[in-house]
Amino acid sequence: MRPSRNSVLFVLLAGLCLAQSSSQYVTPEIRRVGDKLACLCGACKNTVATCQMLECHYSLPARQRIAKMQKEATADTAIVAEFVKREGKKALAEPPNEGFGVLALATPVIAVGLGLGLIGLFIRRYRKPNAVPAMTDEEVRKYQDQIDKEFSKLD
Amino acid sequence: MIIAIAALLVLGALLYTLIVRPTSLPEPEALSPFRHVDEAKARIYENLRDLQFELRLGKLSDEDYARTKVDLQKELAKVLADADALKAELGVQTTSKAVKPKAAEFVCPHCAKKFKEAMKFCGACGKSMEAGA
Amino acid sequence: MENIGALAILLAFCLSIFSIVASLVGAWKQKQFLIVSAERAVICVWALVTTASGLLIYALMTGDYRLAYVAAHSNKAMPMIYKFSAWWGGQEGSLLMWNFILATYALVVVLQNRRKHRALMPYVTTTMMVTQGFFLMLIAFLVPPFQVLSTGGKSIVDVGDGQGLNPLLQYWTMVIHPPILYLGYVGYIVPFAFALGSLITKQKGDEWIFTTRRWAIVTWLFQGTGILLGAGWAYSVLGWGGYWGWDPVENASFLPWLTSTAFLHSVTMQEKKGMMKVWNLVLVASTFFLCIFGTFLTRSGIVSSVHAFAQSPIGPYFVAFLAVTIAITILLILSRLDYLKSEAPLESVVSRESSFLFNNLILLASCFAILWGTLFPVISEAIAGEKISVDAPWFNRVNVPIGLALLFLTGVGPLLAWRRSTPDNLKRNFLWPTVGMVATIGILVAMGISHFYALLSLGLCTFVTWTIVSEFWKGTMAIMQKDALGFVPAVIALTHRNTRRYGGYIVHMGIVLMFIGFSGAAFNKDTTVEAKVGEKFPLGRYELKVTDIKTGQNENFIWQNAVIEATIDGKPFTTLTPERRIYEKSQQPVSMVAIRRQLNEDLYINFAGMGNGSQQPTIQAYVFPLVSWIWLGYWILLFGSLICLVPAKVKMQYARTEVVGVSTKHAPVTK
Repeated sequence: MRPSRNSVLFVLLAGLCLAQSSSQYVTPEIRRVGDKLACLCGACKNTVATCQMLECHYSLPARQRIAKMQKEATADTAIVAEFVKREGKKALAEPPNEGFGVLALATPVIAVGLGLGLIGLFIRRYRKPNAVPAMTDEEVRKYQDQIDKEFSKLD
Repeated sequence: MIIAIAALLVLGALLYTLIVRPTSLPEPEALSPFRHVDEAKARIYENLRDLQFELRLGKLSDEDYARTKVDLQKELAKVLADADALKAELGVQTTSKAVKPKAAEFVCPHCAKKFKEAMKFCGACGKSMEAGA
Repeated sequence: MENIGALAILLAFCLSIFSIVASLVGAWKQKQFLIVSAERAVICVWALVTTASGLLIYALMTGDYRLAYVAAHSNKAMPMIYKFSAWWGGQEGSLLMWNFILATYALVVVLQNRRKHRALMPYVTTTMMVTQGFFLMLIAFLVPPFQVLSTGGKSIVDVGDGQGLNPLLQYWTMVIHPPILYLGYVGYIVPFAFALGSLITKQKGDEWIFTTRRWAIVTWLFQGTGILLGAGWAYSVLGWGGYWGWDPVENASFLPWLTSTAFLHSVTMQEKKGMMKVWNLVLVASTFFLCIFGTFLTRSGIVSSVHAFAQSPIGPYFVAFLAVTIAITILLILSRLDYLKSEAPLESVVSRESSFLFNNLILLASCFAILWGTLFPVISEAIAGEKISVDAPWFNRVNVPIGLALLFLTGVGPLLAWRRSTPDNLKRNFLWPTVGMVATIGILVAMGISHFYALLSLGLCTFVTWTIVSEFWKGTMAIMQKDALGFVPAVIALTHRNTRRYGGYIVHMGIVLMFIGFSGAAFNKDTTVEAKVGEKFPLGRYELKVTDIKTGQNENFIWQNAVIEATIDGKPFTTLTPERRIYEKSQQPVSMVAIRRQLNEDLYINFAGMGNGSQQPTIQAYVFPLVSWIWLGYWILLFGSLICLVPAKVKMQYARTEVVGVSTKHAPVTK
């Protein structure tokens, strides 16, 4: 049994008409603050400002809250602090530069440093300028014919 | 029905896996003790060839080319010397042959029997495999 | 039927165990028949896994809704092609496909090497079958694909129709993206298995590298293709125009690609100079382990992701498998260090050799940073007790500089001379590309572009392009002179002369085009409006107008679309019709975006829905500059990789030393 066309359209419209109001759109002011906040919907790695999921249950209310607080002339940092207070540090899009969060950016930098160190060690250990096998010219001449003969076959 | 198929599946797998006739065993490979020497040699020849090409492209000056070429030749001589040392140590004679693009066949000039490997004496009639011998 | 499927999986599991034991005992006791028997077990495993896969596909296609898997991932209204792709739509089925691909690779390896590499083969078989056994164990005991639905007791329930595949996945790239990605993921086992075999048997030369380099390139290509198909799918389906979101699962597929890229480069060092042997083993092993790790990340639910499968009990088994195999590999490498000594020294810091070192450093730094960022939320929760988010801005901050450094090396590396680069050599090769780079940046600045990374990226793209073109140009000229050939035959002869080198240049060119595409992201524009029908709104140089809203339905879904006219300076440019769908079975809304693709920029429109109070269509419109260059770059990359697979003209025609006779009293040496 297929529902009649009208009821199908009713379902369609009900599905499409999810809470939407002009406040979901990202104004430059909202974007400025929203870029600092992580979208915690669990399905994306975007920020509150860049989450493009229309029915996102996190970023939409978050944007509305940002807009509301901006109307009350709250400073950016205070808005961010308010989010952190409510959700914990995970509300921030990037790890904070304090406590354990420092490690987020520090570790890759340290790793690159270590890698450079390793390359340095490698170069120190294996670098031997002009290190060619100690063959006298006479020994080389002994094999010269063979070298020339085999090499001429190659090209 | 399902039990029959299941039994067939198990039996088939077991029989195929466990019954290996001697004829289906692979022949042992001829392993050359000079393999790594050959690899080293090939590597240096490749490098020489690249070097020559880079000179032709104008990527290197003549002096840079000459210097690196001498180094490579010295390295090559060292590898060849090592190969000779290994030969003496093993007490064998060797031949160098270029690998042909297709698997070459070696035909006995006396009895016309074909072999995959180069041999000094024919495995069928026992006469020398070298042409004109 | 489900009984046969389950039996086939169980039997395959037993045979894989047999194969491991027989290989090891055969190698230990030098019994050829055991080794051959183990290889036959591999063939049987393939046949059995294929049977099981065939049965599952048959059940999906014919709609056997007694099976839990079929009921959860297929339904009657789905087109046949998606019923087939439901094979890998869920945890159980996709693990079965993992097994199928692994078994197929193992089969190919066994058939190819029936007469070759006999000393290595038992260990190659063992490595592959240990992995196979592990994955078979998962589907035999933990997440069986042939589970029937039942109500408590023994009665089997036929639900009549299933849930259907997630509508977002009902898209053509999603039909081929998972299998191709899996072909990549699984394929790294072959180079790894040969590497382990050569370690265990203490091979002196580079046999495993010669044997598996083609495998490595093909697998690398599959992995890259899979990743890019995923990016293309995200771009054309998800409705926000992104092609990469730093999602944990995307990252997981990118990690082994990075290490295998590093591997493909550093093998050159081993082939050319006999250097970095340990390092290459480490890289090939890391690649394999990252593949398993990626599979684990996707399936265990330790990180939240859109891609992840439902949470399942298999996580701890993966951890155990990884721990044991990594420990064995490390022990093996440590115990064989004597055989892995470098054969040549490094002569100069400014040389091709050292450029490979830096290339590897940068690729691994990127790999490490992405891994770290992906796991950081979990780590911070475990150690600091508070979850800290690591989102797209962090990944971009870290990876953009790394990517640019890599781009720079792409241009520099191939121009440095082997052994040592003299100042004269540097001047010959770098003067003009550098001039080109500076000129490009100058022109772009004059055009009013001030985005630092975009400027640097586009400048470097010019630099690298210049170096690649001049390599081809100089080579072609040299061959034209020497062999009196025409231009096109000379280009072909040049490439044929050293296919991996010149194919590699073409791959680099593809990467450059991709970087041009990535740079475009700095200039994206977007707008979201609630537009009345007939109302105009601007976006960049376009003016957009919604002219009509239409609705309709078919068997699978109901739809609604907006007809939108785009004009430039009043002149009609194009008409786009983005669509919204609701799939009946899942009641999930899906948007079908409309994209007008051009080389300079894409016009991308998403019909987001009807506004709540106003009943006006909500339109998200974007301009994405240069995105098409990414896809174009991929085709170039594919072409270059295929060239790398063609055997070079004169390679391997070197003299081979053969033992022809015993000269003295010594006995003949055969081993």
